[in-house]
Amino acid sequence: MSKESSADLVVSPAPHITGTMSKNRLMLYTFVALLIIAVVSTVMWWPVTTPSGWSLGLTVALCSLIAVGVAVGIDALLYKVAADSQLNTMSAAVFGLIVTLSYSLGVPAMRSVEVLPLEAPNAFLYVALISLIGLVLFKKLQGLLGRKYVNPAATAKLVVMLPFFNTILIAADHLRSGALGVPALAGPIGYSVINNNGVASFATYIFTSFANPAVSLPPTVTSSDVFWLLLVQKYHSWIGGASSLAVIIVGLGLFLVARKYIKWRITLSYLVTVTLMALLMTAIYGGDPYLRIGFELFIGSSIFLAFFMATDPATTPLTGLGQGIFGVGLGILTVLIQTFMNFFGGSILALVIMNLTVPLLDHVGIHKPFGRR
Amino acid sequence: MNFKLAIKIEEKKEKARKVPIEVFPDPKTAVILTYQHAGAPNVPLVSVGDSVAIGQKIADSKERVSAPVHSPISGKVVKLGDTYNSCYQEYSEAIFIENDGKKTKDKTLKPISESELKDTSNDSLIKRVREAGIIGLGGAGFPTHLKLSPPSDKPIKYLVVNAMEGEPYDTADERLLVEKASNILQGVRVIRKILGSPEVVIATESNKIEAVAKLKEVFSGEPSTRIVAGHFTYQDGDSAQLQKMLFGWEAHPDKRSYERGVIVHNVATINAVAKAVFEGEPLISRVTTLTGDIKEPKNLLVKIGTPISDILNHFEIDQNNIQKVVIGGVMMGTSLPTTEAPVIKRTSSIIVFSKSKYKPLKRRTDCIRCSRCISACPVRLHPILIFNAIDKGDIEKARRLYMKDCIACGICSYVCPSGIPLAGNICAVPRH
Repeated sequence: MSKESSADLVVSPAPHITGTMSKNRLMLYTFVALLIIAVVSTVMWWPVTTPSGWSLGLTVALCSLIAVGVAVGIDALLYKVAADSQLNTMSAAVFGLIVTLSYSLGVPAMRSVEVLPLEAPNAFLYVALISLIGLVLFKKLQGLLGRKYVNPAATAKLVVMLPFFNTILIAADHLRSGALGVPALAGPIGYSVINNNGVASFATYIFTSFANPAVSLPPTVTSSDVFWLLLVQKYHSWIGGASSLAVIIVGLGLFLVARKYIKWRITLSYLVTVTLMALLMTAIYGGDPYLRIGFELFIGSSIFLAFFMATDPATTPLTGLGQGIFGVGLGILTVLIQTFMNFFGGSILALVIMNLTVPLLDHVGIHKPFGRR
Repeated sequence: MNFKLAIKIEEKKEKARKVPIEVFPDPKTAVILTYQHAGAPNVPLVSVGDSVAIGQKIADSKERVSAPVHSPISGKVVKLGDTYNSCYQEYSEAIFIENDGKKTKDKTLKPISESELKDTSNDSLIKRVREAGIIGLGGAGFPTHLKLSPPSDKPIKYLVVNAMEGEPYDTADERLLVEKASNILQGVRVIRKILGSPEVVIATESNKIEAVAKLKEVFSGEPSTRIVAGHFTYQDGDSAQLQKMLFGWEAHPDKRSYERGVIVHNVATINAVAKAVFEGEPLISRVTTLTGDIKEPKNLLVKIGTPISDILNHFEIDQNNIQKVVIGGVMMGTSLPTTEAPVIKRTSSIIVFSKSKYKPLKRRTDCIRCSRCISACPVRLHPILIFNAIDKGDIEKARRLYMKDCIACGICSYVCPSGIPLAGNICAVPRH
């Protein structure tokens, strides 16, 4: 009847076609988005030179190369030596950039509490260390558990910071007394010194902490000064948060391009919650609400994390409601940690805590199917 | 419009939709599977050596949910044996008939004229639909006569003509609309009479331009009839999804659509009803699309029981270069282990993928928990959670997650960036 041997026909379950989105493509899109942000920070910070003689922009570029190089290199090495390690070059590269962009650089003279080195060459060492620990412990080893529970970049940074945690926590006392010149968030904040909450006003703190070190402090720091810094140009902060505006534009662009593959609900609910929490803190402590909202939303650790770390698919909830609750919890914890532990950049601690709730959150928001409501 | 569900799947219909239906020659040997419908299996009514005529009933069942099959050619029964059944994906009983070329016709079903329709009783029309072996030709294969006899306390308000044909590649229904719109009108009139004159809603995709124009022309004088040509998506072709689009309600998955006063029929089914009533021809042929990686796609009026290999040979498709043959649509259809499998009533398309053009599907990697399958599922299931439960052997949990509500549309697998065979594994578990 038929002249062929059809023994070699491929038989597989439906569907027999597939969409264009793949894990690698999603990673590529994310990588490009992060790369744009890294380039923005590099260019913006290029003219600033730190006391060690390095250009801050060049430091960003080299940190990126180092972190990506370490992550991709170790991924490839493990692929060669470990039998069941998968080669995930794109995913490792994304991880390397997130490590870099969630690392703080700046000029140490800026009034701030930082525990990890702010400038080259020591920053290179720490970025490499975070990348190494993150990839081996929290990407590869954690992956052996069947799924990842905590965000690898955030957890690795916390682990590296652990020996210095005392400093951060003890600092709270110093801070409240104004010893380091940093006003506490657990008090009224504004454009003038209020109620002895620090030795300088919060607006002054923001200016001295985030403005271009070459620009001297104006007699009065205005709200437009503050919001320009917070929104457009910071010279000290998470590398990825140098320009909140760039993060928002690139982040929204990524949401559009990788449509529906990125958990935007987390970003949205986080930003809304942080705003509400800042209003609540203003209600408790008084001061300027906009200043507090601006600070809580737009410091690098907040805005960058909201768009690029809190949405990490592997360590966040599956259901829509779960994602919403995750964002709310993350926002509440972040503001609480920043206010009461004075751990500016505490969003990564909040993130890791929220990551651990995901197995529980996966039980909420299981909705009824079509026609059963 | 529900933006959440708007998943664009490339249609790949451009060439085939313009190709007129071509009559495919009768097979030398027809292979008729006795079990082609959803319901109770049939038993053969003929033995080896029997002579049969075109349209003669050759297998049937006494069970309620069943539909007979008929000989598509005249000739002699040469063998009863198993062959590959594409809708059940297993080998099952078939009747092999050698063509004698005489085209002798069975006269059991007498055609009636359109003027006789109003004087024909509904019972005799329903009986005729059953005797003609008509089943849902959109793919589900449910016996049509049962859908035409809803309980008397459930008045039918709407007859929905499903002309969506959302499956990529497939154009058989579209060509039927273009070329046989008047048959479909006749069929609609029959069904309307049986169901007590419900309003008619014809739903189709607005990009079937020629078909929409033809429908508007042919159905223009028909009372209380609406043609809804919208920007629909692939999954809107599902009966429940379609009702949501048209009427706004969500039909309960465990209830039949007549509970809400709706009956949905596929256009090809309606065409078959018209043929059975006005031409006296049982369901022995259907239009199927031959497409995929072939130069000239075809829409073929082919006899049921024609081996797929006959069709491939006839069009000189190099069978050594075939990677995969998909029957009944790339999203929901099945792939054949052998091209000796025959065309059955539910073969709406034959899609050939060649080795030279074949691109392997995504490499399977670990789930990245993007939750895209959850937001994409048109019936709001949690595909990855059901998949994981099945994977762990916890079928009870999979059931609690409403596994049985899966409509097998394949969207979850389609959108998965990690190439996880979600739909395949969920569908492989028995429903109840």
